Amino acid sequence: MLNLTVAGITVRATLGRRRAFLFAVPAVILIVLTLVLRASHPAAGAAWPDTVLGTFGFSVLLPLTALIIGTGVLGAEIDDGSVVHLLATPVRRADVIITKFAVAVGLTAAFAALPELIAGLLAPHSGKLAVALFAGALVGSVVYSALFVFLSVVTTRAIAFGLLYVAIWEGALSNVVGGVRILSIAHYALGVANAIDPDQNLQAGLGLSTSLILGAVITVGGLYLATRRLETFSLAGDPA
Amino acid sequence: MSSIIEFRNVSRWYGNVVAVNDITMDIGPGVTGLLGPNGAGKSTILHMIAGFLAPSRGTLTLDGTQPWKNPDIYRRLGLVPERDSVYAFLTGAQFVTATAKLHKLPEPSRSAAWAIGLTEMAEAQDRKIATYSKGMRQRIKVAAALVHDPEILLLDEPFNGMDPRQRLHMMDLLSRLGDEGRTILFSSHILEEVERLSGTIQVMVAGRLAASGDFRAIRRLMTSRPHVFHVRTTDDRRLAAALVGRDYTHAVELTGKGLQVRTSDFGAFCEQIAVITRDENIRLTELLPTDESLESVFGYLIAN
Amino acid sequence: MRTEPVSAQTSSPGKRAAGGVIHDLGYQRYHGPRLGRSQIVAALAWHSFRSAFGFGRGAKAKIVPVIAMIAICLPAIVNAFAMSQGNARVVDYDTYTPVLRNLIMTVFVAVQAPELVSRDLRSRVLPLYFSRPIKPSDYPLAKYLGFTAACLVMLEVPLLLLYAGSVANVHGGSAVWAQTRALIPGLLVGLMWAVSLAAISLFLASLSARRGLATGTVAIVFLLTYVLAEILLQVETQSAINTVPGPGPAVGPGAGFSAGPPPVTVAEKVAGLFSPFTLFDGVRMWLGGTDHADNVHKPGAFGAVYAVVLIAVVGLCLFGLAARYRKARLS
Repeated sequence: MLNLTVAGITVRATLGRRRAFLFAVPAVILIVLTLVLRASHPAAGAAWPDTVLGTFGFSVLLPLTALIIGTGVLGAEIDDGSVVHLLATPVRRADVIITKFAVAVGLTAAFAALPELIAGLLAPHSGKLAVALFAGALVGSVVYSALFVFLSVVTTRAIAFGLLYVAIWEGALSNVVGGVRILSIAHYALGVANAIDPDQNLQAGLGLSTSLILGAVITVGGLYLATRRLETFSLAGDPA
Repeated sequence: MSSIIEFRNVSRWYGNVVAVNDITMDIGPGVTGLLGPNGAGKSTILHMIAGFLAPSRGTLTLDGTQPWKNPDIYRRLGLVPERDSVYAFLTGAQFVTATAKLHKLPEPSRSAAWAIGLTEMAEAQDRKIATYSKGMRQRIKVAAALVHDPEILLLDEPFNGMDPRQRLHMMDLLSRLGDEGRTILFSSHILEEVERLSGTIQVMVAGRLAASGDFRAIRRLMTSRPHVFHVRTTDDRRLAAALVGRDYTHAVELTGKGLQVRTSDFGAFCEQIAVITRDENIRLTELLPTDESLESVFGYLIAN
Repeated sequence: MRTEPVSAQTSSPGKRAAGGVIHDLGYQRYHGPRLGRSQIVAALAWHSFRSAFGFGRGAKAKIVPVIAMIAICLPAIVNAFAMSQGNARVVDYDTYTPVLRNLIMTVFVAVQAPELVSRDLRSRVLPLYFSRPIKPSDYPLAKYLGFTAACLVMLEVPLLLLYAGSVANVHGGSAVWAQTRALIPGLLVGLMWAVSLAAISLFLASLSARRGLATGTVAIVFLLTYVLAEILLQVETQSAINTVPGPGPAVGPGAGFSAGPPPVTVAEKVAGLFSPFTLFDGVRMWLGGTDHADNVHKPGAFGAVYAVVLIAVVGLCLFGLAARYRKARLS
């Protein structure tokens, strides 16, 4: 199912552009920030790990990184038209979507989940929290990637709508309106994290099974719909 | 190894705009030129054959199968899109080899080398495509489209951005491929290109098929528009006087370099000119048909 | 026999030179009055303003601006409803609802700024624009004016709605006047926001010719810096509270106002400089705005630094934007 050629091109394309700058920098900042704060506030009962790992790492770093990567793995090619060279081959459309999705998950995990773990292990007395957040971030990477890959197939404005979702739906509303959580990927991730290391500060609203089930539904559904859309991918006619 | 592309009453529209309007035609082996001004629907036709657009109405088949939603056709079909977009971060060789792998060819590197050799890109193959000129990018796209030895090759404005030498070479390549029995369909709005390369043309104007077949034959079919001949003799004025009297003569013009005769009956004029000059004791030094070019065919079709 | 060059037909009068003819096809030159440079700039600015809300493009382009506008007006509507039930005004004019407004404005500028500057850089229509009688800096100026106006609409309309909702629910001339007096600073804060946000986001968006990348850049810069600044602030405040053994109870981030105030550390003061939103807040409070639980501390005299930094940042961004177009003009 996974097409190595496609994967190779995608990884090269995503890491080789200016896009890579955008998602490498936040990861570096997270780790640098952790080191700086550890040096200046090494106190045992410090509350900052929660804020740094939770608010910054989980609520900002993870969704934004997933957004940039997820909309980039396929969206960039569709945007500049080079996807035609990929699609004018007998490769199954499902394989294309799955491969792009896998690359997106891998890169997001590498640039958001992994730094989260590293920062968590560096910060004082937050080992269990770090592991919990890492697991949550992995789940988040999977579901976010599926959503953003799907968005990039159905619209050319994937990153705009994705940002709308992340900033407004997840950022603003889900903390205010309780029911919104059901459709918030961030809360699935938090639910998983909370299950491993129950922590009041996480404000996770969903249980483990709810999170996993809903996450799986969105992932599978998103990838399936993306495949169907890719099968009917159309090139416009004359520009005139 | 011959393929027939069949269009039967194919139309394609976007909302209120009709891009392709009730086209019925067959495209067979050899080189066919799709000619038409910008906006005529040439790209739409090519994308429909390539399975990247569905006809809104009518049926389009490649040897009986529909190309829409059918990735298997790409085993036999190669597309060179017009858009100048290609993986710029890969080298030429990497790009063609990757395409070969995507086609699941048994020996991707060999096939890639063959295709690159065919398009004379061997020298530049290890440079990144981002450093290529436009003509080179076109050629590497052709190489990628040929790597799996397709029976059908579709090229959308392939000579864009090529210098004369590259253009000649590409025309030569396409002729050879056409002679091998492949079906080559290319689009262009530049008349010299189509004229030189293909015998068969399909002329599209505003989404409709205005003419198809050999362009000289098409020209001759349009008897209502006068043929123009350029004649030079020892006594132009007397010939002019004689010609004006005939009913197949539309107009005669005395120019500094001879006579320009417009006639509506090609055959009659050709027969009679020798007779007239002999009878009038004039020696004919030059007789040229002046507008057999595609230009005038084209212009005529546009105007009508 | 002599043949003479006689034309049987007369072609339309045209210029003749030896061996060549230029025909007069009947194209007319326009000799009437032409609009001047300022009108060109005004037309471009108006067009930019419309593009910022997706007008002039398809329906999909309007989705994000419309949702953003609705979302940002919601607190005003909620407030009107709450006040009609007899409560006091729950939303302030000068801070509005801070977190929501920050998020919404981030989305708005991140998605719309590339509509104004990235697309024209990519489609290479700039030589067409610059062959008109405008100075090279006029074009980005027009974009900036248009986008500032758009941001102004996004920021002031909710305030006006808030005002309308409040005034409808209070009675008496003095109460209305009190509302009006509170509104004015809020409008001015909105103006500061609009002017600065437009400059920064347009500059960031112009760095990339791809619309998606530009959106990502603007979003990441704004959100990242905001969260970073907030974290630093929270951390510093927390540790300041923890390290001061004071007689009074710890009163949270508003500690600056308690009886024995722990000194606001340098780190706290400086933390707010690194993000546009906290920068706005610092300047606002320096100019006399009220302090809120989740805002930057009152910077006191240090607020002047905030103002200077803000002006410098805006100036640099505008300069960068102009430079970008000067370079792009030649492509």
